[in-house]
Amino acid sequence: MKLYLYGIIDSSSQIKQSIYGLEGAGVYNIPFCDIGAAVSEICRPPQNITEDAVLEHEAIVEKLMADFTVLPVRFQTVIEGRDNLLSMMRGYYKDFKDNMERLHNKFEFSIKVIWPADKIKENIIKALKKDEQKKLDLDSSSGKRFMKEKFEKYKIDKEFDAKADKFIKVMDIFFSKFAAEKKNKKLKTENLLMDAVYLVEKDNERNFREAFEHVKSSRPDFKYLFSGPWPAYNFVVLSKKSCLPRDSEQADLFDKVTKDQILVGADSI
Amino acid sequence: MIALAHGHRTTSVGFQAEKVKMNNAVIKSKEITLLEILDRVLDKGVVISGDIVISVADVDLIYLGLKVLLSSVETIEKLRGSPFVGPMQEAR
Repeated sequence: MKLYLYGIIDSSSQIKQSIYGLEGAGVYNIPFCDIGAAVSEICRPPQNITEDAVLEHEAIVEKLMADFTVLPVRFQTVIEGRDNLLSMMRGYYKDFKDNMERLHNKFEFSIKVIWPADKIKENIIKALKKDEQKKLDLDSSSGKRFMKEKFEKYKIDKEFDAKADKFIKVMDIFFSKFAAEKKNKKLKTENLLMDAVYLVEKDNERNFREAFEHVKSSRPDFKYLFSGPWPAYNFVVLSKKSCLPRDSEQADLFDKVTKDQILVGADSI
Repeated sequence: MIALAHGHRTTSVGFQAEKVKMNNAVIKSKEITLLEILDRVLDKGVVISGDIVISVADVDLIYLGLKVLLSSVETIEKLRGSPFVGPMQEAR
């Protein structure tokens, strides 16, 4: 029996919603201690990545998100049988618990800011040229010209970078105020000024949206892409040590698994 | 869940043109939604490794999928840097 894994949830109880997964099979919870793995049975691992399958996976994770704290699992994670799944849960239990504590009651929001890079550079060049006119250089040997051009390019790039830092810093002040964690990338491309994800508590969602609207209205010449709430895909952190627990830890964990938990799952669907 | 947040207004355009523009906006919005989902579902979240997992979508498969669908710059860059050379060579 192959199990397609959608997410790890903070409950060992059965999922009350009727959720249907890939191949139309019911999604159910396989409990381990006080957490569980939301899975559905499949005959064979999906062979192709299709738009429908990706959307279906995401839709299921979002349905789970309505009732549980979910650690979303990457698309197409298939585990051979229940024993292997429980063994995996045992190995990652501490990691899963730590993440659930951190991510409880929180969602992820994505903010992308696109600025008119060409215009920004144009303005920088204009400003630099003004300065240059003040100190006219009469010596125009090719060597010096080459060095001058190189230096000018360096100055433009440096100024461009500094401007990006400045904008991001200001915007981030507003967003960070209502976020528990963030990941922010600057200038992935020249036009993509900021590509950020923020982890926001449910109660702060409104404030966070308002902060976004405020930033947006203060720079209407930039373009913005706001999305969320998402399951916290970007904030799941698994320690590299997470393989299998030491024998003593395994024994502890086995003590926590009840006989009922071992029996609950596929058979109950 | 996702919205294009930049202002995009048109004035003095006929109904058909307006409709086409609206459709384009919807298509664009859908494409961006899909991109956001792909970026997360294929590349982020819990990634379980080890012998017990018989198939975490392998790099080749993801890459082929991304060629058909969409990808983020970051994902493609990561894949380019991966040790799986087959499909990467095709991409260059």
